[in-house]
Amino acid sequence: MAMQGIPYSEALRNYSVKTFREPAGEVQEPEQLLRSFHPDYYPGTTVTLRVGVNRGDACHHQLAEVLQADARIDEADLAGAAIRETDVLVIGGGGAGCAAALVAARAGARVILTTKLRLGDSNTVMAEGGIQASIEKDDTPQMHLDDTLRAGHYRSDRRLVARMVADGPDVIRWLIQQGMQFDLDKYGDILLRRAGGTSANRVAYYRDYTGLEMMRVLRESVTNSNIEVLDYSPAVELLSNEEGHCGGAVISSLKDYSYTLVKAKAVIVATGGIGRMHINGFPTSNHFGATGDGLVLAYRLGAGLRDLDSFQYHPSGLTWPQHLAGTLITEGVRSAGAYILNGQGERFVDELETRDLVSSAILRECAEGRGVEVGDDIRGVWLDTPGLELRNPGTLAARFPKLIQLGKRSGIDLYHQPLLIYPTLHYQNGGVVIDENGCSSVPRLYCVGEVSGGIHGKNRIMGNSLLEIISFGRRAGAHAAEKSHRRGHKKVSIEHVSNLRRELTLAEMPMEKQGPALFPECAKFENDSDYDGLRRNRKGRP
Amino acid sequence: MSEKTENLVKVTIDGKEILAPGKLSTIQALWHAGYPRVKSVGCLEGVCGSCRIMARRAGSTEVTMELGCQTLIEEGMEVSFLVFPTPSHHTYELGEIRNSWEVQAHFSRIFPEADHCRNCHGCTVSCPKGIQVERGVELAVKGRFREAGELFVECVMCNFCMTACPEFIAPNHVGIFARRVTAYFHIRPSNLINRLEKLRRGELQIRDQ
Repeated sequence: MAMQGIPYSEALRNYSVKTFREPAGEVQEPEQLLRSFHPDYYPGTTVTLRVGVNRGDACHHQLAEVLQADARIDEADLAGAAIRETDVLVIGGGGAGCAAALVAARAGARVILTTKLRLGDSNTVMAEGGIQASIEKDDTPQMHLDDTLRAGHYRSDRRLVARMVADGPDVIRWLIQQGMQFDLDKYGDILLRRAGGTSANRVAYYRDYTGLEMMRVLRESVTNSNIEVLDYSPAVELLSNEEGHCGGAVISSLKDYSYTLVKAKAVIVATGGIGRMHINGFPTSNHFGATGDGLVLAYRLGAGLRDLDSFQYHPSGLTWPQHLAGTLITEGVRSAGAYILNGQGERFVDELETRDLVSSAILRECAEGRGVEVGDDIRGVWLDTPGLELRNPGTLAARFPKLIQLGKRSGIDLYHQPLLIYPTLHYQNGGVVIDENGCSSVPRLYCVGEVSGGIHGKNRIMGNSLLEIISFGRRAGAHAAEKSHRRGHKKVSIEHVSNLRRELTLAEMPMEKQGPALFPECAKFENDSDYDGLRRNRKGRP
Repeated sequence: MSEKTENLVKVTIDGKEILAPGKLSTIQALWHAGYPRVKSVGCLEGVCGSCRIMARRAGSTEVTMELGCQTLIEEGMEVSFLVFPTPSHHTYELGEIRNSWEVQAHFSRIFPEADHCRNCHGCTVSCPKGIQVERGVELAVKGRFREAGELFVECVMCNFCMTACPEFIAPNHVGIFARRVTAYFHIRPSNLINRLEKLRRGELQIRDQ
């Protein structure tokens, strides 16, 4: 059990704004710090998968539960369902999905983009810090690669990282060509800030609204194209053909409560991560829809997954006031020079270390009684915004308008009072195994963005996710469009669901839970009588 | 116990009477009271523009347009969610505009209603982000796109201004158009261009292993 921290009011009384504070120095024995405090190493968090391609692999138990859940539908649900045909079906309306759809459509493919909520409802829109691209004259793609591999503890797929870092500068150009703005210096050059654990200023940004700026531009591009967008339409199952290749998806409509079979020559899954599963009980910075649907869909069809026991906890989630717990404060604030202080007012870690180390150090301070304690179970450390403003006057207003809004909503004057932060569940490091075009191990099934794995190894650096979604979104879109030229549609079914049920039965697994989850438990989707039409055959199940 | 009861607030959300702690947002209050809520929920941080609500506070006749995740419940407040935003009827591709001399002409073609603004302030009043929407439209009509776009930095595309506009101007799309043409025609960073050129020449190769 964690030791009692320093009471909030006492810690606040002891706090004063200072220009200089002693740096913490390098982390001694980083491996030991992670093993002792990083949530990935909490005892009992992983189980061994018993069903599917990754049978025998370690997997976080919450994720294992959805990967080994029953399907939401069976053949009977599809009787009378409308059937549509397209060349490329994109599942997911965040940055990766939009980039893939745009590139595929411009290459001449007919594209349907289906999204669980509205177009743009995603983690992309919430991204703050920026996007990595080696642009500065002293920086190189090689350094970008080296930094990414090192921060990921050398567990990345080097080939994927090499493609991504080489794409970086052209991704920024492509985004500008879609109409995205970046913060520029007085000569019109792109401003770059440094991500934790990296060797150069490499993160391009737009205020702390980088994702919002990116998403509203991509959304506008998509809605002004010939891409057909199906909103409020979560995919509940993929379709397979006789050869086991992907042949489309079953889409449910939250508007008219019906199922549609969309037959496609290629399917690009871009559904994002699983933050809203609140892995290890942590609050999350993630979007409402981040429930790991794509992982479940792809796994059932036979796609291999990787690193299912590795998650990112972002060091600076707001932890007080409680109703805003988990809200992200960009790493850009630390990059601009903000310190993190424990309840005794001391810096205890290099603020620009990799995220896994900074988070572990925060958890250590809290566990060992040097954190700030608000009440039962609410503790954290200070993010010293007043100190930042003292050293760099005007920075907060010029660079971090979203943070200022957050301060207002918290009722905390961040010019004079530090914010209380605690790690927040931020990112799924692993995911579907892909190649350089985003192809999974199932033919005609592509996975891009957070749903995919292999790029970030065991720990991601700031700005690499926004780069990844555009880099691999474009790659998958181009490849899928080209391949779908020469193909016809084949007979499709959800036969793989029967195989899944057989496997689950043989492994004596419980079948009460159904996946994909679609929504977090708090939203009570499963009890919402509005959606009974999507569950009409459920009672008759064995 | 008694302290907790004192903090409870009674609100009506989509016709349902709800008792919930006052520090909760309208969405959290619905969930707290056990009601399902899926549609109109998004980022929960005020940047996706999905959770559009109309709210009326006790003792007031004024109805305000707000974001449900950003609005904390108050005693006697009435709230309605607006689920499906109307799509814009304007359509354009940046690629059709051949050079920056033609932006204003294209703008008038794409957004012909923009100069019909009757200065009713409906868009500005309805904006949950406090953007000077009407001013933005006025600037765009004058061809001052960079200036217009700057006003829309905080725009989350909730579409309230579109709903409010009696002339069907779609002011938020005007704002994003202004921002997009600014980037498309005027952002030419020499550090980026130089890097792209080096890559084109095959410099900066990545080592194999």
